[in-house]
Amino acid sequence: MIDCLSSIPLQASFALHSRVLDQAGLLFRLAFSNERQYRTMPTHGIGKYKHLLPKEAPKKKKERQQMKQIKTATDAEYGTLNVKVSGYDMILVEHYSQYIHNLCNRLGVKVAESYALPTKSTEVMVMPEQGTKMYVDAILKTHERIVQLSQLNATLCPTFMEVLLKNQPEGIQLSVKLHTEADYQARFKARPELEGLMAQMT
Amino acid sequence: MAAPCSRMANRPLWQFITNVRRTGLKHTGVRQISLSSACRAATQTRSKTEGVASPWKLYGAVCLQRLPVISQERNPIEDQFAELMHQMELERSLLSDHEQRLLEDSERMTRKQADNYDSDEEEADYGGQETITAQDQEDSWEQKLKHFQPALRDRGRSGTPLGSVERCLGDSLVLLVQQTVGKETIWLLPQAQWEAGETLRQTAERGLNSLPEADFKATFLGNTPCGVYRYKFPKEVQTECCVGAKVFFFKAFLSAGSASQKEPFLWVKKTELQGYLKPPYLEKVDRFILNL
Repeated sequence: MIDCLSSIPLQASFALHSRVLDQAGLLFRLAFSNERQYRTMPTHGIGKYKHLLPKEAPKKKKERQQMKQIKTATDAEYGTLNVKVSGYDMILVEHYSQYIHNLCNRLGVKVAESYALPTKSTEVMVMPEQGTKMYVDAILKTHERIVQLSQLNATLCPTFMEVLLKNQPEGIQLSVKLHTEADYQARFKARPELEGLMAQMT
Repeated sequence: MAAPCSRMANRPLWQFITNVRRTGLKHTGVRQISLSSACRAATQTRSKTEGVASPWKLYGAVCLQRLPVISQERNPIEDQFAELMHQMELERSLLSDHEQRLLEDSERMTRKQADNYDSDEEEADYGGQETITAQDQEDSWEQKLKHFQPALRDRGRSGTPLGSVERCLGDSLVLLVQQTVGKETIWLLPQAQWEAGETLRQTAERGLNSLPEADFKATFLGNTPCGVYRYKFPKEVQTECCVGAKVFFFKAFLSAGSASQKEPFLWVKKTELQGYLKPPYLEKVDRFILNL
């Protein structure tokens, strides 16, 4: 009797932890944890809860990334806007983009996405006065971060832009544009073999 | 340095339409204080009402700001803190590629100068000497740095006139003009009277463009005004249809432009506005000019 009583909380806690176990796993559990089913006892089945949960749909494989719907502008709000921060100094660019994100959170502007574009390297070639051959002087890396805003209120917009412009650090370019599908597609890598096969098909 | 930013898509989001019957009277005299909160005009859309005239004259004014060109100077506390942070980061940081190369090169030099140097062994390990060592590179970079002359921080002489756009490069400046309002000539933000059929933003643009001998290219940030100033005319000028005036302010940033020095323009910081604007006007204008 005492065994039965002590095993109940054990069973309950074990049932709570083992969500992935289904009916077949019941035996697995019994085999490893010395639990017996006292089927004649009134406490049989105490702690069962799986039958009470709503039926889950069978887990499907992760779907291909779909583009989020681009919102259009209405009379009082702007559509999906891309605020692009770019510059040579990564620290400043990162900090400024984080500042913009936090500012939007504070002001209640919804941020749809916040991502970075790949870094572009620019080689600075210098041609000396005497020779004709150019040699590499330096490599400059341009970093870009994008904060995507979804519903910017038209009344808030001038103040928001002013705060952004006045807090812009040195050497950082700020640009605000509408988000287009072309922008979205540009983020993906080109797949030359797939394109080759498609071209062969057509 | 002030970096350029591109303009947002210009969309006429709303139209602010009222009918005001224009009178031939000019408003005069001292403005009386009447408090009104800044009008969130974008959320109201007034329908066109034929024949009912509002007793207020409408003006559109523009608050043209020149953004700071260089970064501001730091406080002593900010300076100390920046030094401290820099020191901490330096102590916590790891060696970069260049610094590692320097160390390796110096080690190699010491090994070469040692008595039991075996050059064959060295070259087998390192696969041939590089022609340019890291130290040489550093020396050449230092030479180039010496040739570089940074520009002076304050290009202006200490006595830059107030009308010049180039004063106080570290702060944002607001444009003030001298206009005749009624009998007085006072300093205020450039404004123009509203005419039927145009939005208030167009009125503000017209006010800016109509400034004599000035050629300012401004970027307006939006269609919504940022502030409003309402005043009543003195009793002798008031008629039934013309009780007072409301001035709606729009914000804009200077993108390009120049003005001759002779014209009565002023570029002032927020702290200096007090010396030029009338107190009730200043109170309203102060609310929307950010001191960043």
